[in-house]
Amino acid sequence: MGPKILTVDDSKTIRLIIGKAFKSFDCEVFEASNGVEGLAVAAKEKPDIIILDLTMPIMDGYETLTKLKSDPELKGIPVVMLTAEAGRENVLRIAKQGVRDYLVKPFKEEVIIDRVGRIIDLKPKGVNAARIRRFDDSLTILVVDDKPAIAEMIRSGLKTETNWTVISRAQTGEAVDYCTQTVPDLVLISLSLGDGAGFSLFQLLRATTKTKTVPVFGLCVKTAIEEQGKAQQIGFTGIITKPIDLEDIKAKVTRSLNLDTSYKYFQNKNDVLVLSLPSNFTSGMANEVSAHLRVKISEAVDSGIDKAVFDVSQLKNADINLIKLGLDVMQLCNELSLRNRVIGSELISRECRNFEETKDWRFVNSFDEAIQAFNGKEIVQAA
Amino acid sequence: MITDVDSLVTTAVTEVFTTMLNMPVRRDPPGTVIRNGEALVAGSVGFIGTLSGVVYIYWTARFARAMTGKMLGLTEKEVESEEMVNDAVGELANMVVGYMKSRFSDHGMPCVLTIPSIVRGSHFKVEGVTSTERTVMCFDIADGQQVVVEALIKPIKKN
Repeated sequence: MGPKILTVDDSKTIRLIIGKAFKSFDCEVFEASNGVEGLAVAAKEKPDIIILDLTMPIMDGYETLTKLKSDPELKGIPVVMLTAEAGRENVLRIAKQGVRDYLVKPFKEEVIIDRVGRIIDLKPKGVNAARIRRFDDSLTILVVDDKPAIAEMIRSGLKTETNWTVISRAQTGEAVDYCTQTVPDLVLISLSLGDGAGFSLFQLLRATTKTKTVPVFGLCVKTAIEEQGKAQQIGFTGIITKPIDLEDIKAKVTRSLNLDTSYKYFQNKNDVLVLSLPSNFTSGMANEVSAHLRVKISEAVDSGIDKAVFDVSQLKNADINLIKLGLDVMQLCNELSLRNRVIGSELISRECRNFEETKDWRFVNSFDEAIQAFNGKEIVQAA
Repeated sequence: MITDVDSLVTTAVTEVFTTMLNMPVRRDPPGTVIRNGEALVAGSVGFIGTLSGVVYIYWTARFARAMTGKMLGLTEKEVESEEMVNDAVGELANMVVGYMKSRFSDHGMPCVLTIPSIVRGSHFKVEGVTSTERTVMCFDIADGQQVVVEALIKPIKKN
């Protein structure tokens, strides 16, 4: 659960506006309509921040603040005053009371989000839930590059395999306008924009509550060593080099957003856990599978499954990526007492028998044969 | 200071409507108050101190509902009650008069605000007593909606 925000204001309108402002963040907003109620809610909920109106009936903001500061359990809670009265005298009086900040009505939602975000850690909703987002979910990627061909290349390259929408903006000002309206899931910024505009945009995104947790990658040519170094130094999530490698982008997006890709490799079939590798199996995919391996196998065992099939039949030969992954799979199966078989070609089976570490893998030709083997009808592949 | 009320109100109304509602504000010529019998909602807030007075801000009930919806991110249908509209109108009036009060205080005329109140009706008329100065200003909000501000201010007694 995110931070708790308490708004104390006699105006229901203001309380609703504040509730609306923080709706898209992972936080809880509590309300009180005067100081007495505010103190009671603060004592019960121990909020991380209080947004306190000055002029209220029953108990005004000054008195509420004084009481908060004299309560040992509540005095540490940061308070932001919200007031329609911005006279110098008023501001000085507020400052003396030990408030962290004050805001003058009228105010824009972005301003209150920004001020509160400087005091407490506000994360947009979904950031904490990102671990369960899947690779095939809808995502928005903002590409900021003055060369439209780059965004177009990324857009057309991603559209066949993903549900990701690529939004392009040529100027950083346009990108800021876009981010003010819609928070993208990920941003790619050209590091070669004039006057270091790409770096300035990055710093602005990091200083803005709504976008401070959005992964931002720098786009540049491989030889732009200086820009890459600078980007890494100031905290870019990573670098994507041109010419664009779409597999590299997909891998980096997946990793930075913790997207779940396990569905591409793992499935439960007739009470058997099946791990299938595709014909274009790469070291990147091996890393993806490894990242999910322990969790998926543990989940399967936990749900009552006691059999696993490692399907490498799509692969032409047993390379080092397959061997390393296979050893991890076998070790986990043994640890968790999961009976297992490997579906693979005769060539792979033969290659595996030649190595001490893999010679005991039990190969079959198909899923049906694996089931028969589990049922005690082993069919041995020809040597 | 009293002579500055006109520009003070204009700045306050512009500030409040552009910030809270993102609506453009245009000053209409004096004496263009439109009354066509449509229901009106007025928010009023007073100030008491070195300088005393009361400010009424009013517009049609229809526009008040639309503004409430816009402020709260709701459609007009989702604006549940007149109470919700009253609260929003009172808050807007409070912001306008709060702005004026702050400037008065900065010029050595401290005062405190009263709580907002609401008047509803089709034919109400704001009148001051003889000792007050009355200023009426009209604004065009969002291209076609009229907002009227009537300020009744009691001049400071000169010793």
